[in-house]
Formats: sequence, C-alpha cells, structure tokens
Amino acid sequence: MATLALRRRSVIPGFGITIGFTLLYLSLIILIPLSATFIKSTQLGWGGFWTTVTAPRVVASYKLSFGASFLAAAINLVFGMLVAWVLVRYRFPGRRLIDALVDLPFALPTAVAGIALTAIYAPNGWLGQYLEPLGIKVAFTPTGVLVALIFIGLPFVVRTVQPVLQELKPELEEAAASLGASRRQTIFRVLMPSLWPALLTGFALAFARALGEYGSVIFIAGNMPMVSEITPLLIITKLEQYDYAGATAIAVAMLVISFLLLLIINLLQWWGRHRHQ
Amino acid sequence: MSIIIENVNKHFSGFHALQDVNLTIPTGELVALLGPSGCGKTSLLRIIAGLEQPDSGSIRFNGEDTTRRHVRERGVGFVFQPYALFHHMTVFDNVAFGLTVRPRAERPSRGEIADRVHDLLKLVQLEFVADRYPSQLSGGQRQRIALARALAVEPKVLLLDEPFGALDANVRKDLRRWLRRLHDEIHVTSVFVTHDQEEAMEVSSRVVVMSKGRVEQVGTPDEVYGAPATEFVSRFLGSVNLFKGRIHDGWAHIGDVRAPLPHDADTQAGAAVAHLRPHEVSIADSPEGAIAAGCVRGILSIGPMVRIEIERDGEENGLVEVEMVRERYLRSPLALGQKVFIKPRNLRVFASGAG
Amino acid sequence: MNTTTSPTLNEPAWFRRLLIGAGLAFLGLFLALPLAAVLTEALRQGVGAYLVALQEPVALAAIKLTLIAAGIAVPLNLIFGVTAAWAIAKFEFRGKSLLITLIDLPFSVSPVIAGLIYVLIFGAQGWFGQYLFENDIKVIFAVPGIVLATVFVTFPFVARELIPVMEEQGTAEEEAALTLGASGWQTFWRVTLPNIKWGLLYGVILCNARAMGEFGAVSVVSGHIRGETNTLPLHVEILYNEYNFVAAFACASLLALLALVTLAAKSFVEWRGQAQRALAPIALPAVQPST
Repeated sequence: MATLALRRRSVIPGFGITIGFTLLYLSLIILIPLSATFIKSTQLGWGGFWTTVTAPRVVASYKLSFGASFLAAAINLVFGMLVAWVLVRYRFPGRRLIDALVDLPFALPTAVAGIALTAIYAPNGWLGQYLEPLGIKVAFTPTGVLVALIFIGLPFVVRTVQPVLQELKPELEEAAASLGASRRQTIFRVLMPSLWPALLTGFALAFARALGEYGSVIFIAGNMPMVSEITPLLIITKLEQYDYAGATAIAVAMLVISFLLLLIINLLQWWGRHRHQ
Repeated sequence: MSIIIENVNKHFSGFHALQDVNLTIPTGELVALLGPSGCGKTSLLRIIAGLEQPDSGSIRFNGEDTTRRHVRERGVGFVFQPYALFHHMTVFDNVAFGLTVRPRAERPSRGEIADRVHDLLKLVQLEFVADRYPSQLSGGQRQRIALARALAVEPKVLLLDEPFGALDANVRKDLRRWLRRLHDEIHVTSVFVTHDQEEAMEVSSRVVVMSKGRVEQVGTPDEVYGAPATEFVSRFLGSVNLFKGRIHDGWAHIGDVRAPLPHDADTQAGAAVAHLRPHEVSIADSPEGAIAAGCVRGILSIGPMVRIEIERDGEENGLVEVEMVRERYLRSPLALGQKVFIKPRNLRVFASGAG
Repeated sequence: MNTTTSPTLNEPAWFRRLLIGAGLAFLGLFLALPLAAVLTEALRQGVGAYLVALQEPVALAAIKLTLIAAGIAVPLNLIFGVTAAWAIAKFEFRGKSLLITLIDLPFSVSPVIAGLIYVLIFGAQGWFGQYLFENDIKVIFAVPGIVLATVFVTFPFVARELIPVMEEQGTAEEEAALTLGASGWQTFWRVTLPNIKWGLLYGVILCNARAMGEFGAVSVVSGHIRGETNTLPLHVEILYNEYNFVAAFACASLLALLALVTLAAKSFVEWRGQAQRALAPIALPAVQPST
C-alpha cells in the first residue's frame, strides 16, 4: 500500500488525512476480517481443506448455486434487456412509476422477499395452488431457488443497459436506415454491438449477487441436502455445528470465485470503455 | 435527379416549423439551405430524406412522388451532423455497411464490395485509415468517412446536415473547397444545410435562404447577395447599415436621396428602410446626394481593409460602418471627429412593415 | 404510445405493445406480485390483528435494535464515504483503481461470509475470543456484532455514489475557493458539500435501506435471542418459522414500507439532482478513472 502515497502535488488540502482514514477504516472493517478466513482455512491443511470443499453435499450445493445463479442471470439478461428497451424507447402510462419500481429488489429486505415469494409459490399459495395440479412445484424445489434469484438479480441488467441505450444517438439508427438497413439489421448490427459490454456486465453482476444470496432463498428453497441447499446455507449449517474450520473452508472457496467474478466484471467494464479506440 | 418540394407543411408540438414550402432543386446542383437556427432548414432536409414525414405537401424525385416512401427505399445518402459513424466498426466496415445490408440477391460479392470501398476511400483521400476505428480519426477525417459511407450506396441524392459545423476553421476551409471539387467530379444532386452565409456562398451553386419556416429567396450566391428579395435576406447575408425614410409619390425618400421602390411595395405612403452595406458607402465632404451626415468616431485598420465608424448627427448610438480598401483610404485619409457626409453607391429600399 | 426516436425508426404498433406487455408482465410477476403478497398476507386477519402483532414487546425491541444498528452504521459509512471520495476524486495517486475495487469488495462477498468473518475474529474460538471472554465483553451474539456486520455490508454505498459525482466536478471550484482565501474546511463546507449534497443523500438513502433490511450477515452474528439480538428482518424469520404468518407478514410489511419509502425518496433525489448530474444507479460498480 506504500505506493498509494505517491501523488502529484496539489494545492487542495487534506490528502494525507483522508487517504489515511480511508485505508485505516478499509483495513479494519474489510481487509483484516476478510483475511481471517484465509488464515483460518489454513488450519485444516491442504488435504482437509480439499476434502471439505469437495464433499458430495458441498459439491451438490455448488451445482445448485452456480446452476440456478447462471440461469437466473441469463433470464434476467433477456428480460432486463427487454425492460430497459421498453422503458427507454416507449412512452406509456405509468412508465416512471415502473422505472422506479425496478429497484425494488435492491430496497426490499431479502427476508421479506423470501417469505413473499414463498407465500406466492407454496403449494397452497397464490400461484402455487394453480401450478400444483399441473404438476409444477416451485417452492421447496430448485425452481424456487431460481425464482428467488431472478427477483434478486432483476435490476442489474436493466440498470446497466438503460444508460447506454439512452446515450445511443438516434442518428446512428437513422444512418443505418438511410443506408438501406432493415430494422432487424439495424438492431443486430448497429445497436447490439454497442450494448454487449453493458449486457455482460449486468449479467455478471446479477450472477455474482445470486451466488452469495441467502435471505430470499432459504425460505423458498426447502433446504433439502443434496437437492435444494445453497452454498451460503451450508456455511451457516457448519457454523451451527461449531465446525468453524469447515465453514471457513467453504467460505474461502466462495470468496475465490467471487473475486474471480469481480475481476471479470472489471475487465468487462474496461473492455466497454476501451474497445474501438 | 431533380427534387420538387410542393406545399410542404410541418408542425412540431404546436410550432409551425415549415409553412407552405415550395422548392425545385434541379438535377446535379449543389444547393445550400441557409438560415438561422430554428428556421426549419434541418426539418426540410430530413423530410427530403424521409427521416420525417410532412404534415401536408409532397416530395417528388424526378417527378415521382416519394413522400410516403421509407428512408430505406428512398435512395438518399445522408451525412449526419455528428457524423453518426458506427463506432464499433472499422472505417472499412462503416463504408461497406450500406452494401452488406442489401438482400442477398442484390448484394455485391465480397470482392466487389472491397473494391468499391477502396475506390470511395481513395475518392475521399483516406485509403490509409481503412482498418482504424472512428474514434481514432480526426474530425475532418470522420466527416469524409461519413460522406464516403453515404456515397457507397450510390445515392440519387446526397443530403448533408451542417457538414462543416463541428470542425475548426482551417479544416472547414479545406473541406469546403474539397466538397465543391468532389461535387464537380460526381455531380450527384446535393443539398446541404448551413447557418453560415459564407459557407453557403462559397460551396453551393444555388442558395435557398429560409426564415421562420418559409423560403425567403432562391438564387445563385451572387443573386441573393446582390439583389436580396427581402429585408431578412439582405440583413442575413452580411452586415448592413440601416437608414429610415418615407414613401411619397411612388418614391422612397431617405435623407436627400430619392430612390426607386421595390416592385411589390405599397407605392402610396408609409415608412421605408434602406440597406447599405459597409463597402457600398462613399464618404463625401459636401451634402449633395447624401443620405446622412455625421462625424468620424473610429478608424480601424483591419489588414487590407479600413473600417470607419461614423456617428450620425442627431442619433446617439447610430453608428454607420464604412469599409474601404486600404489604398483608397490612404488617398483621402480622415481624422477623428471630422464632419462627413454619407453617400450611397448602391441603395436597397424595403417598405417597412411599421407603415 | 409515442416513442422518443423519429417516426421512421418505430417498430410497428402491435410489436411495440407486445414488447411493453411482455416487459410489464415480467415485472408484474416478479415485483408487483410479491409486494402485493406481503401487504395482503399482513392484513389477512384484519387491521386489529395486524396492529396487535406490531405492538408485541419483542417486535418493538426488534424495531429498536434495527434503528440502533442503522443509526450507527450509516453515519460511520457516511463519514468514510466522504473521506474516501475526497481522497480518490480530488487527487491523483497510484493504486487508485485498486483502492476503488477494494471499497467495492463487500458487494461481491456473500452476506453470510460477512457475518462469518466477525465470528472468526470475535467469536468464542476467534482471535480475540479469549480476551473478550476474560473481560466479559460480548461482541458476537450481541449488539456490537450486529453493528459490525451491518457496517460491512453497507460499507461501499456512500463512497461509490460520491466518487463519480466528485470526479465529475473536478477541482476547479475548490481551487477557486482557495485562491479567494478560504481554508480547507471552509472550502469543503461551502463549495464541495453543496455540490455533492444530492449524491450524498442518494448514497445515504440506499445505505440506510440496506442497513435496516440486512438479513444474512446479521443472522450469522445475532444468536437470535428474542427481544435482545433480533433485528426486524430476523424477527420476521422467527415468526415465520413458528408459523405465525400474520405477525411475520405484519413485520415484513413495515420493511416493505421502508422499501417503498426508499424508492420514493430515491426518485425524488434523482429528480432534484438531475440538474446537477445523473446519479449512478445503485449497486453497480463505481466508475473507475479511465487509464
């Protein structure tokens, strides 16, 4: 962190104290506590660590967490693009209200979302009672996990694509039309290439958020080992059994994956800014 | 390809942007739509292109009504003001775009497209940037690429919206000359929009002066400057000195001068205003034939020209600007505060609406 | 139904309606329906039962604890956010991108892990466990732990909102104030702060919503002691697991109301702040200085 001190001379005061406080607070609240997980996980030794993070029940939870998160992010990719398009391009009554409502999953506590979705999709719930006779079970199955993760990730793609779509100049589409391109060709050859970085960033953010999500999922998932148990829940289970080392090992595996995703998101953002320059 | 615009009207949320516009653009001409911002020139250009629909009236290309034809099928090349290059495509792909989006049956082969693009890049003298992205080009280069892209589809009509608007002065000057030469080479009917009278005069073969949604005058650069049809055209095309007068017995009387009235003016009685450009003023020391008197308040040497500011008697802030070439000034120099008389060499009289 | 672009670029009307319909159906299913479910379920047995549930001493204790946790976490992160944004936006230094990424880190960490790390440090088996036990200080399964976990998960909100706002404003106005003889503090209070107030408020609103609604991280460190270490979201969980649905949804409806107030306040701030600049959407990576 010593390199942080290298800075251009500036007449504006307060660099030393603000950067100092920033680094201190960041270290105390985030960095040192996070490093505790990595230190703790070494207690198990490499063999113990590997056994813990590859136990069948844990692997089953990875499959569910990754699969459902990926699918939820993919669904949000499609519908998020659709919603962003509709909100930016069309005018209809209630548009501004709906635009504000898109952020609901950010503002609504996850536990509330969890019990609300369960009330809707439980076998005797609002929609569940109609789905049950059709043989569709949502709550207390992996599908329930998917529904909760779609809810949680819904705003990400909308909010990353919306500003890019807004900034796109109508002249680009007019130029394409005046050169003889059909609407389809304009959308796929002119609009979409500009939107890809934003779409992928939104996808990655929704995916990362879904991977770590806990509150909204546990109510609707049913939490059956090997079937509908997500990885964050396993950490809690191990903690409740006072298996701190085991909980930490799984946490470290998740952290590594999260950091990789963060790296990918940053690369995507960089790509969006710097390609074609 | 001639363009005939008939009785075109366009409203934008209560604002009458174009009012009964009639205009004929002959084949092969390079026409400027000139006017201040908000005069409707860009709306007219976009209606010709098919990017907007007129509320009433029609657009005919070579006699054929194209008013309802989609911009896609209208066969126009449009150069947008901020260029609207596709930033995710190379220059080559930008220029080739119009060809590659054609239905398969009409699409030229890959090799033909490449040849065509390279010919166009040669035409705009930018062959060496084919593989670059638009963000790597200068403003002037982007402008020329936008033009090449519009020309790639072999448009019957080329339309340019403020083509030199965003460029700095030197580049603008070069590009103007270059555009005129290019037009001499390819002779496609071209219309461009500008608010800069100098640009319109320098580039176009015919100028359409517009104001408040109406066409004020159509003519060669020489005609609109030398014989402006309305007061607006006269004032918009260069600085003028204004002199108030009266209409009496079929003549306009301004100071000591009696000037013929314009043909369409009310010849009975009323107010008139005379326009006199700075270079059309003679300075005399006797009152015969003068339209005003005053004293010299400023003498500014501006390169080859000398500008003299004369304060008119009895009119505070009534400065008259006179311009003459340096040599002529030096033959009869003036002194500050000197009493002089202003004589017109070419006076244009307009009946003034005030009555 | 009008569109923003010129008429030549419109999709056919039926296609537009189809897209709008599909978008609204998706949002209705995933946003409006859960919201409606909370409010309906809460009032299922009438207003009387609803009010009784909210007046339970345990519920009131949970509300109080939630307010305490947010009341500590939000000001702390507000101070941090302003300080960090000042250092990052007004100065150039190496490692700036890394610092921004580190500030964003809590968004990429599962809330469960956020709780776990404090257990590892302050828990009975943790680094300071022995020391805390000997001195009779409780952090985990007590209020300090809940506050710490809340601080962690709401850590980036104010900073990431302010960094782009302050970066956009540059340093010219501060430099002007300094040339006119203002001190550093005067410059901050009279020049910088008025410029960033909407961004600041926006960050605080979002920070507060998350602080009051946090579940996963708090759940790990709380210990779920009724009336003592249960925040409102945790109280909802307990009631729900006890099949006391009306009470659970009644408490949930308070949190849903908080969410709606948050959205309204956020829209208001966006509207007021529009003249200054568009605010960065929530929970998206902060704009990093281009390199």
